Amino acid sequence: MTPLIGAARPRRGERLSNTAFALLLTLPGMALFAAIVCYPLIASLVTGFFEQSLVLPGRSFVGLSNYREALQGDFWPVLRQTAVFTLGATAIPFVLGFALALALNSGIRGSGFLRGLFLFPWVIPGVVVSFLWMWIFNANYGVLNGVLTRLGLIEESVGWLGEPGTAMLAVIVTKSWASFPWIMVMMLAALQTVPRELHEAAAVDGSGAIRRFFTVTWPGVRGVAAIAILLEFIWNFQHFDTIYVLTGGGPAGSTETFAVAVYREAFHGFDLGRATALGGLWMVLLLGLVGLYLRMFERETDR
Amino acid sequence: MSRFRTRQGLAPGTARPGAGLRRRDTLRLLGLGAMGAAGAGALSACAPSGGSGGGGGDASASTFGFSSWSLNEEASKPVVEAIVADWESAEDVSIDAVSYPYNDYLTQLTLKLRGGQVTGAVQLDIAWLGALAPMGRLLDLSDAAARGGYTEAALTSGQYEGTQYGLPWTTASIGLIANSTLLDAAGITEQPTTIEQFEEALRALKDLEGITPYAAATKVAQLKDIFPWMRTFGSTLVEGDTVTIGDDASVEAVEWYKRLYDDGLIAADVDRFDARALFAQGRVGFYDDAVIGKGATIAQASDPALADAMVPVPRPVLASGDAPQALLWGHVIVVVDGEGSDAATEFALHTTSDTATVADYFERLALPPTTAEGLGDPAVAQDAFTTEWTERITATATPGPFWHLTQNAQIEEVVAQQVQAVLVGGSSARDAMNAAREEITGLMER
Repeated sequence: MTPLIGAARPRRGERLSNTAFALLLTLPGMALFAAIVCYPLIASLVTGFFEQSLVLPGRSFVGLSNYREALQGDFWPVLRQTAVFTLGATAIPFVLGFALALALNSGIRGSGFLRGLFLFPWVIPGVVVSFLWMWIFNANYGVLNGVLTRLGLIEESVGWLGEPGTAMLAVIVTKSWASFPWIMVMMLAALQTVPRELHEAAAVDGSGAIRRFFTVTWPGVRGVAAIAILLEFIWNFQHFDTIYVLTGGGPAGSTETFAVAVYREAFHGFDLGRATALGGLWMVLLLGLVGLYLRMFERETDR
Repeated sequence: MSRFRTRQGLAPGTARPGAGLRRRDTLRLLGLGAMGAAGAGALSACAPSGGSGGGGGDASASTFGFSSWSLNEEASKPVVEAIVADWESAEDVSIDAVSYPYNDYLTQLTLKLRGGQVTGAVQLDIAWLGALAPMGRLLDLSDAAARGGYTEAALTSGQYEGTQYGLPWTTASIGLIANSTLLDAAGITEQPTTIEQFEEALRALKDLEGITPYAAATKVAQLKDIFPWMRTFGSTLVEGDTVTIGDDASVEAVEWYKRLYDDGLIAADVDRFDARALFAQGRVGFYDDAVIGKGATIAQASDPALADAMVPVPRPVLASGDAPQALLWGHVIVVVDGEGSDAATEFALHTTSDTATVADYFERLALPPTTAEGLGDPAVAQDAFTTEWTERITATATPGPFWHLTQNAQIEEVVAQQVQAVLVGGSSARDAMNAAREEITGLMER
């Protein structure tokens, strides 16, 4: 067949479509993903069907026994504690971070300096933050008890980390202190995208500060707020270091979240089967949250 | 027309229907990545590592590791570092020292041993031999042990199922240490010998301002200290393969411990290290510790006179005439089969049996040697605190009830968790101990 005159013949290297080329570029990443995420994930899920010790060689198939034991044992209390921690450690830093973002966005003097100052807790490694607060909360020589005693607010030392009620609160406060800065930064960035003219127009129309917040500010930042809350929620749902350092999941398991429970089963109990079964159940819950995040993200990008 | 058009006639970054990846697709992929990460985050830490089963490596290599929690503690670190440095220069070997805090040591060591990341000599608590020996990575040190001149009792502490895996470094017991100055201040003229007298003494100490009468463990890490109290109340804890925790005696012991907690005679949020810190501040009447406690506590005390005030106290008994309960305690050095194991064995032998080395170790840390020669050294034999400790506490000490089991650490944690649940009001002593018995029985059947 005679080639058409003037028709450009594809040269070598130009035969790939954009899709194929993009997929080619992702191949190394996908390979890495398969090696360090997919394989351990699948191997772990499989382990959930075996009785396997971290210490002893060999394993035996036990079917759904590990999952059944997890559901009959630790799952529900751990789910409740994870939910309490996650809700608390998401709500408090969000309220705090958003309030500070509003303050910084209002043009107060020294806002640049304050913005840097407020970021300080965020740049400290999580374990260091945890040790810092562990000393603050220590029942026998902690700063908090010292201050409260001097102020006459308590007569005897309070075991903040040694009592179930206060231990969870202490863990939430610590995590909130570490994570409010990033929410503040996110919300500050969102606030700066709300046109000032809208505020001015609303003010001219006679709207007060609260009404302007709900009719102008909040609609403008709602999407970012939702994503920030959901991301923080997901991270808290998986959070480990603060809880492990401060309480190790105690006292009496009262601060034991999924992350700590799986760690305890695997690396204290050396029971890989039960640990991965519990982890598998935890992962199902996480996937639901991630799915929600994706839906919200897509809705936000469509706006 | 834009001068930035491409050959396809679209500006860079512009999505082309039907070709290439769209933004939405990218977001979906990111979402899938997030899902994967979520799953991996939840599970990948538990993925079987495979580990390396055999020894491997050159046993005659002159470089080996030395894992030790003593290198992580203020009092013992310089002493052990000096032993390592002296041996390196004397024998022309290279020792890679590794350290983890005591409370995380067993977990870290287990993981690394399973992954084949540990070589050379390893310091172990005698309670942990049962957990690590079954992994099949430790050398039989019978030949080296025969050259060490260890006492028979000390050698036993390094054995598991008849094999000499560990060379004994120090052997003593865990008992009570009291601050005699505080006892005097509280009007306690004689050491309490019964539970009743002990409780009276604690109540007298409570009247002193800012004093924790008894810095007993209330954190999980050291709540295994409840075992000697359970035995004091008459529980056997385990008989053969039958767990007896949950019997009347163990329940009574936990109820008593809970009463001390509720009455403020013991404090919340205390482990061994907290207890030492508080004792060093002169704020504790009694606390549980091994004989090492004296050296570790004095190292952080601002008042040097505290050393003279520290006295060993045999654990009070339920009824006069009962034998005081104490838990055997000690360290051994084991050697991992593989790279540098020959040199590591010689290092372990030297560290645990060279008389000058163990005598110096004792003088600086108050840790009794395990060899007949070491015990006969004047520095050891003439030390009043150690002699008193040996005669009054170690004399009646017994091993932990579950030490021989691979699951010892898990069993101790189960009991600790249940006792803690009682202390914070989450469970009754009876229910908690019954739950502990069931869980321990399950663990032992695995």
